[in-house]
Amino acid sequence: MLSLSVNGESHSVDVPADMPLLWVLRDVIGLTGTKFGCGIAQCGACTVHLDGQPVRSCVLPVGSIGDKTITTIEAIGNTPSGQQIQQAWLDVDVVQCGYCQSGQIMSAAALLKRSPNPSDADIDAAMSGNICRCGTYVRIRAAIKQAATGKLDILQTIVTSPEGSAS
Amino acid sequence: MKRFLIFVVFVLILGSVAYFALNRTDSSDGTAPAIAGAPATADVLARGEYLAKAADCTACHTVPGSGKPFAGGVAFRLPFGTIYSSNITADAQTGIGSWSDDDFVRAVREGVRKDGKRLYPAFPYISYTQLSRSDVLAIKAYLFSLPKISQPDQPNALGFPFNQRWAMGFWNAAFFKSQRFVADASKSPQWNSGAYLAGALGHCAECHTPRNVGFGLEHGNELAGEVLQGWRAYNITSDTAHGIGAWSDGEIASYLSTGHADGRGSASGPMGEAVDNSLQYLMPEDTNALVTYLRSVPARAGKDPITIDAKAAPALASNDTAPGGDSADANSAGLKLFESACASCHQWNGQGQETPYASLLGTRGVNDTKGANVTQVILHGSRMRLGGHDVFMPAFGRAYSDTEVAALANYVIAHFGNKQGTVTPDAVAQSRKL
Repeated sequence: MLSLSVNGESHSVDVPADMPLLWVLRDVIGLTGTKFGCGIAQCGACTVHLDGQPVRSCVLPVGSIGDKTITTIEAIGNTPSGQQIQQAWLDVDVVQCGYCQSGQIMSAAALLKRSPNPSDADIDAAMSGNICRCGTYVRIRAAIKQAATGKLDILQTIVTSPEGSAS
Repeated sequence: MKRFLIFVVFVLILGSVAYFALNRTDSSDGTAPAIAGAPATADVLARGEYLAKAADCTACHTVPGSGKPFAGGVAFRLPFGTIYSSNITADAQTGIGSWSDDDFVRAVREGVRKDGKRLYPAFPYISYTQLSRSDVLAIKAYLFSLPKISQPDQPNALGFPFNQRWAMGFWNAAFFKSQRFVADASKSPQWNSGAYLAGALGHCAECHTPRNVGFGLEHGNELAGEVLQGWRAYNITSDTAHGIGAWSDGEIASYLSTGHADGRGSASGPMGEAVDNSLQYLMPEDTNALVTYLRSVPARAGKDPITIDAKAAPALASNDTAPGGDSADANSAGLKLFESACASCHQWNGQGQETPYASLLGTRGVNDTKGANVTQVILHGSRMRLGGHDVFMPAFGRAYSDTEVAALANYVIAHFGNKQGTVTPDAVAQSRKL
C-alpha cells in the first residue's frame, strides 16, 4: 500500500511499486485529465508536477515518489501560475484537438512559476519536450507571453456564445 | 639442398614439440574457493543454477525475448565475420544431450567440442578453464534439468582462414593456457572467492582486458579497458583517476548488483546485460568478494584513458530545467536535440529525474571524448530488468540521422563532461552496424 499526495488529497493505492504514475492516476485514482501519448517520455502529454517540477508520469515508477506532492491538470488552476496560463489559453484559444494540451499547460505553468517573464529561448527550452500534432505552437508561445505580461499580441477568441443561448 | 631439408625437418619437429607443449591440458579436477551462493552442501541443481548465472551462460546462449533459454543462435559480429552461439539444451539431436560429463568438461575448459573440433574463443574457455570439475558438472546438471529445445545451430559466417577451426590450435598455443584456479594462500578467503568469481565464472577479462593484435588477452594489462562490438568496457583496475580506485566499496557493490552507483554511472549495453542476467543474482557475500578482488587489481591507465570532470562547468551553471554555461559557439544543433528529446529526464544539470539511472554528471560515458557508449545508448537505448522492474531508455537510432546523433553526442560530452567530443557522422554510421 502506497500513500500518494495528489492535488492536496492523500490517496492510498494498492499497486506494484514499478507501476508508472500515469496508470495510477488514470486507472486507479480516476483522474483522467492527464493523457497517455507515447509511453516513453518523448511527447509530454502525460506531464504532471512533482513538487512543482514537470515530470513525465508515463515513465515515473510510483514507488520512487515518496512523500513528494503531485499536481495534475485537474488542480493546476488552483495555483497562481496555472490560473494565469489557463486564462491565457482560453483567451487565445490555443487548443485545437486538445489531446496534448494537459501536458502543454502543465509544462507552461511550471515555466511561468520559475521564470515569470520568460524569453523566447526560455519558452523553447521549457516547451520543446511537448509535442502538438495540430501545430498549435505559435499560439502556445503567444499564450505563455500573454499570461506573463498581460499584453495582447495575437488575435483573441472572437467566437462567444450569443446572448440567451444555452451554454 | 640436403642440409636445407634437414633444417626444414628440424624446424617442423621443433614446431610440433612446441605446439603440443603449449597445448598441454591441465588434467587436474581443480578446486573452487567457497562461493556463498553455491555452497558444497547445496543441492547440485541449485548450485548449477547459481553457477550458470554467475558464469552468465544465458547472455550468449539465449536470444533475448525468444523464449528459448539456452537454445543458442545469438550473433556475434566480430572483425573477421559473424559467429553464432550453439544450442546447449539437452536436446540430443541439435543440443548437447548426447554429451558425456567428460565431453562437457573438455568443451568448457579446453574449448574442444564432442566431435573433437575446436571452439572459437568467443566462447570464454580461456576463463572457464579455471573452473573446478565439480562446478562445471553442476552447471551441466542444471542445463540438463531444463526443457530440451530442438533448434539446429546456425552456421558461422566466417571467411578463410578464420573458418578453419583446426587453426585455433595455433591460437591456443599462443594465447591459451589450460590451468585450473590456483588459490593464493597469502590472500584472504574472500579475495580468493572474488578472484574465482571474476576470473573463472564472471569472465570479466573477456571484455575489460585489452586484446593484442592476435586478439589474445594482453597479460600485464588486466582489466584496463577495451572496446568490443562498439561498446567501451571501462577500465576497472584500482587506478584512482582512470579506473574505479576512487569508488567506495559500497559504490562498486551497488553498481554490480543494481547497475547503478550515484555519481559514478549506470550500466547499459553489454554491462547492462551482465547485471540483468548475472550480477544482480549474486548473494551480497559474493558481490563483496568481487569488490575485494577488484580493489586489488593493479592500477593501470589503459588505452585512451578517460579523465572525469565530476563538476563540469556547463552542467553546474545549469539548473534542472534550463541550460546555462555552454560556450557561445556551442553546437546549437546538439543543444536543440537535447532540449527536445533528452532534457525532460536527464535535466540540464545532469542530475536525472524520473530515475537515478538517468543521472549523467560524473559518469565515464559523458567524459569519453570518443563518445563510444554515449553514441551506442543514443542509437540503441538501454534496457535492464532488475528484480521485477524495468530500467529503460528509448532508442533514438531510427529517429535521428548520423549527423544529428553525432551533434547530440558531442553536445552531451561538452555539457556534462566539459570536453570537446570527437564523434563524427561516420563513426555513428559504424556504430549503427554493430
